Amino acid sequence: MSGADAVRVPAEARWAGVLRAMAGPLLRGLLPVGSILGLWYLAILTSGLPAFVIPRPERVLETLVEDRAFIAFHLLSTLEVAALGLLVANVAGVGLAVLFDSLPFTRPLLMPAAITLRNVPYVALVSVLMLAIGDTTGSKVAVVALSGFFPVLVNTMQGLRAADTVLLDRMRILNAGWWETFRLVRLPFAVPSIVAAQQIAGTSSIIVAISAEWMISSEGLGYVINRAMQTYRGDQVYAVALIATGLSLVVYALVQRLGRWFDWRR
Amino acid sequence: MAAPILIRGVSRRFGNSLALTPVSLEIQAGEFVALIGPSGCGKTTLLRIVADLEQPSTGEVRIGEETAAGARRKRMLGLVSQRPAVLPWNTAAADVAFTQKVAGRVGYPAAGLLREFGLGGHEGKRPGELSGGMLQRVNIASAIAHDPAVLLMDEPFSALDEMKREELGGWFDRELARRPKTVLFVTHHIDEAVLLADRLVVFSSSPGRVLDVVRVPVPRPRDPGFRRDPRFLETAAHVRRLLFGAEAAA
Repeated sequence: MSGADAVRVPAEARWAGVLRAMAGPLLRGLLPVGSILGLWYLAILTSGLPAFVIPRPERVLETLVEDRAFIAFHLLSTLEVAALGLLVANVAGVGLAVLFDSLPFTRPLLMPAAITLRNVPYVALVSVLMLAIGDTTGSKVAVVALSGFFPVLVNTMQGLRAADTVLLDRMRILNAGWWETFRLVRLPFAVPSIVAAQQIAGTSSIIVAISAEWMISSEGLGYVINRAMQTYRGDQVYAVALIATGLSLVVYALVQRLGRWFDWRR
Repeated sequence: MAAPILIRGVSRRFGNSLALTPVSLEIQAGEFVALIGPSGCGKTTLLRIVADLEQPSTGEVRIGEETAAGARRKRMLGLVSQRPAVLPWNTAAADVAFTQKVAGRVGYPAAGLLREFGLGGHEGKRPGELSGGMLQRVNIASAIAHDPAVLLMDEPFSALDEMKREELGGWFDRELARRPKTVLFVTHHIDEAVLLADRLVVFSSSPGRVLDVVRVPVPRPRDPGFRRDPRFLETAAHVRRLLFGAEAAA
């Protein structure tokens, strides 16, 4: 018997190995979907609610296919609001954190205003914005930005303080300026905190954009939900909910991936 | 090129508490001076004042022709801390190059410096991949990469075990012979200070003040056998007497 024959594995055993290797990830992916579907059907069977309140999953999938052009149009509008809101939240949050860090006297001046804005109920904020600038992209972007900027601000502030003092001493002894120290030491140390803020602000930007559209807009997934409620189209509401959840998960995964790329600890 | 340090009447007060009573000290270019004393005696404060990282309440520091701030601005200083100041994302070579980039001056080419520091073959490793002793060597290499005239060291070997500390101390003594610098060295270890320094400035605490300045009667670099030399034992015993009193030294 040759050496190669001695280590040859029978085809059945090889396939069994492949199946075993695939079974784990497959089960991990299918179990959550299976359990959600199971609970969904259980609710349909036991709640006694009409189909327009709790439609069957296959009906929701049909709606997603049938109304794809309509939903896609409004999805783009929501994505635009969420993306712009997130961008403004980051510019404001990171910008304020850098300002507080470089000019500490500005912190007691501006931080109370930031905390107040954070604690204003969004419903009141949306109403004021509606009165001020009407049903525009700007009003919805403002709501998303206001909801996202505080976690970005707080996390960035924390991150900028994370640099080890011996490294800051090293920069000072080399007569490095503020910008050089910020760019080469403080910002890289702050990146993990800024990424953590994106996981909060990024995922919530979709939900907040939909909520703002639900209250004031004639465009976007929030508007689709509003319209569907008035026309007893529970299937559309569920379709939008599915898309919003999926989008939030995609944003979360994207942020994680980008974060790993920027994070020096990887 | 090493530079002399002149410390004239430097004191430091934190609020109402006097951390350091006025200290005056003249350090020759290329001299190695150890500051030794108990915790809280002001030796690190004095080092940080010389580094222009803290301001004195009274007095002044001159480094060569410059004030401490002027020397820092001209990148005449190198600082080695107890915790290595190596950027965690840098490789050993990148960290040495980082100093040179920020200082705008290549004192010693990175590859050659690391090789001479016994780090050949480890240039591409990050801090997490280096042992404590190797990491401290990278730290020192980065601190002198721009060829500063003065090296300020705050307990650089104290995080290492006894054997590593001794090994690294001997190595550093030999390195200094190749690249002369004026060294101000803060330490808690009497033997380490006597082995490495030309002079020891002995401090007492509460408030921090200079008890005595002790000269080690053997020139540097020193033979590894110096530890068994009667002059080493005599000097170390004298410093112990100053720090702990006659009973403890006996």
